[in-house]
Amino acid sequence: MGAAPQQVSPDQRVADFRKIFSRAESEVARVIVGHREVVRKLLTALFCGGHILIEGVPGLGKTLMVKAASETLGLSFKRIQFTPDLMPSDIIGTQVLTESDGLREFQFKPGPIFAHMVLGDEINRATPKTQSAVLEAMEEHQVTVFGTTYVLDPPYIVLATQNPIELEGTYPLPEAQMDRFIFKVVMGSPKPDELREILNRTTGTAQNKIQPLFEPARAPQAIEDLKGLVREVMVAEPLERYIISVIGGCTPGGPGAIPEVSQYLRFGPSPRGAQALILCAKVNALLAGRVSVSYDDIDDAIVPCLRHRLLLNFQAEAESVSSESILEQVIKRLKKPRT
Amino acid sequence: MRVMLCAVAPALTAIVLGLLLGTIGDLTWGQYGYWLAPDSAIALSLALIGAGLVVLAMGLLMAFRAYRRANDFVAAAAELDDLLECNQEIVTFANLANPAVPERSRARRTPLFPVLWRRAIALFGGLDLRREFRLEVGAPLKRSSIFAGVVALAMLFATLGLVRAPTPESREAAKLRAIAQEIAKTATSSDDTALAGKIRAAADALENSKLPPAEKKKRIEDAMRQAEKAAEKRNNSQSGKNRGTGKSNAQSGNGGGKSQGQGNSSGAGTGEGKSGTGSGQNAGGNNPSPGKGSTGNNSGKNDGGKGTAKNDKNDQNKGDPSNVKLQNELAKAEAQAETADAKNPGPDNQPGDDKNQGGANKPGDKPDQKSGSQPDPNRPGDLPKPGANGDRNIPAAGGNPKNNKDMGSNLGDTHLGEMPTSTNAQRFLKPGEKGAGVDIKDARYVMFRLPGAPTSSSGGKTVLDTDRPKATTAYVNAPLAPTSDDAPPDERQLVPPRYRDMIH
Repeated sequence: MGAAPQQVSPDQRVADFRKIFSRAESEVARVIVGHREVVRKLLTALFCGGHILIEGVPGLGKTLMVKAASETLGLSFKRIQFTPDLMPSDIIGTQVLTESDGLREFQFKPGPIFAHMVLGDEINRATPKTQSAVLEAMEEHQVTVFGTTYVLDPPYIVLATQNPIELEGTYPLPEAQMDRFIFKVVMGSPKPDELREILNRTTGTAQNKIQPLFEPARAPQAIEDLKGLVREVMVAEPLERYIISVIGGCTPGGPGAIPEVSQYLRFGPSPRGAQALILCAKVNALLAGRVSVSYDDIDDAIVPCLRHRLLLNFQAEAESVSSESILEQVIKRLKKPRT
Repeated sequence: MRVMLCAVAPALTAIVLGLLLGTIGDLTWGQYGYWLAPDSAIALSLALIGAGLVVLAMGLLMAFRAYRRANDFVAAAAELDDLLECNQEIVTFANLANPAVPERSRARRTPLFPVLWRRAIALFGGLDLRREFRLEVGAPLKRSSIFAGVVALAMLFATLGLVRAPTPESREAAKLRAIAQEIAKTATSSDDTALAGKIRAAADALENSKLPPAEKKKRIEDAMRQAEKAAEKRNNSQSGKNRGTGKSNAQSGNGGGKSQGQGNSSGAGTGEGKSGTGSGQNAGGNNPSPGKGSTGNNSGKNDGGKGTAKNDKNDQNKGDPSNVKLQNELAKAEAQAETADAKNPGPDNQPGDDKNQGGANKPGDKPDQKSGSQPDPNRPGDLPKPGANGDRNIPAAGGNPKNNKDMGSNLGDTHLGEMPTSTNAQRFLKPGEKGAGVDIKDARYVMFRLPGAPTSSSGGKTVLDTDRPKATTAYVNAPLAPTSDDAPPDERQLVPPRYRDMIH
């Protein structure tokens, strides 16, 4: 498991991917009850090389989930609680004057952003300045402090959470910055059965221990190999055209835009949305045991990939039209190209 | 193929129905005396044929598109993909192994391509071409028969909407057209063709409601003249022939005597007659057979070898049944046109123009038929107008009792008689005073001149005077001074029937 791709046949690599993914899901499920879709999206985002924005009220186990995932995959994990007085240096790190052997020098002390998995709790509570520091690290996979650039070790994934109910004293992420997250996942409240299971697990004496899939030393490389496998999945030209038509269909005034899009949207998804769509579809294909993307893989990826990239206008907000409903209309009405 | 099968049945149904519409009509609604107007029949027939051709063209187009798609490598793969439900694996494989663009396809391949290859081959292994691409004739035909039924139903409804009971004119026109067709079929000269054309024109004119009756009559008369001319020409040519070879060899059958006589035959035969009984006497029969007959149309007598076969023109015409029929039909058509003329007064028949006093309907004389000279009392234009003409329509005060005779005039209510001419009333008679009686009993119009309403500058409100004294004795109008020419026209209004008794 986690062997070098040169020695393993492509079929074996595909099978390994599925096995690892499935095992990671089950390991996280030992700790987290329910939210299987959120866990799947979390792992998908990791293998796509993207970041994920989780929206949900406090107490749903967001932190626990990320922690469990990092433990399962053998990756390092850091958590940042965003507050209004949090400074960028608190996150990315700063130069500290140190003395060793009578020699004083500035040494870079990395901040919590230097980890494989970073949980940014309530990212909308920080000031835009601090938010932008994180977002730059997310996009570039590197930070620059006092003119020195520090590369963040791959794999690198930021899981940011947002609290949708408290808006006072918050700085909601601008739409342009939301675009940097591959998915926006909405975490709902647990169902009664799930809640009972949560209570049993957390208030008793039994402890669920997670079995790591990789040794911490080998984990980053193994994950990178799996990310490489995702990119090797093939997409036929008609399917690429379909993805383009989806993006065009969601853009007001774009080719094939449906009337609802022109009526309720100010802006549509960017090319980054199309990239996210393809990558997510590729992971879906691998999970289905295929090495080529199908229309179903794309359709499954449309809502989580594009829901936060659509900018609704005032009319949509007044009429309580959600971006999800618009995307569902787009999926329904767009024709799948055959050639 | 399947597409074509789907299109063929409705297309053929529509075309066949369109072509056989006339025959279908003769066998169905024609049996019950209904008919489809020629214009509607042609339009419906063309619509059906057009629809059939359009469906056929669409079927061909779709078949061509299907053929082209089948020849496209990736499109064919997509077809197979759909058929086998392969989640676009075959499409992707075809896309990355497209022989049309080998370089581009190869550049897009990844290390996972062999996996895709193997999976595609495995999927193809399960493909039974005979099973998957079996030509199923039943289902497309069933589907197309539904469409064909829809076409037939559409035709039925269209026909139901268009079929009418024929008018006498249309019936006559149809007969004329049939005759014209017959003549055109057996035409031997340009005259016959011209005659057929004239008859058709007459038929068209007879049916054309927009054409004035005079024009209709003219065209029918043209056709009649042409028919006569054609008949005459035929007769002349025939009689010319017979005059020259008018030797009648009358051979007695029983007596054995031979008789030679000069016959003046204008029949269709050559005049060489072999007939007769008894010795030397030959009574020519009236055999209408044309051409070189044994006796031709000899209606004369061939007596003792000096038989003179006389045949006048009328007899000749009588002998040609198609000509007789044509003449009859044309005469009927003319009568129809005249009837139509009588029914539709038209814009030329203005009241007052018709000087025929007997124009009113008489009881029992075609009660449905309106007289052309009868004005419509409800038409405002027919109300008497002031001025020279209008005076004629005004009832005469102290009128002439002779005028009450119902003369069938078009000047007013002919039922009630001639309108009395008016005289100007000058004043009301005093109570008890008896002036000249105003004989306006049963008059339909009375002319009032109302005094001008008093104007109020203060703008008071109108109150109905219910306490005003009511008339107990009849008032009679006395003649007034004549009005000046520049005075405004008098107001006229109908006297409601309930007040008529009050006016003496």
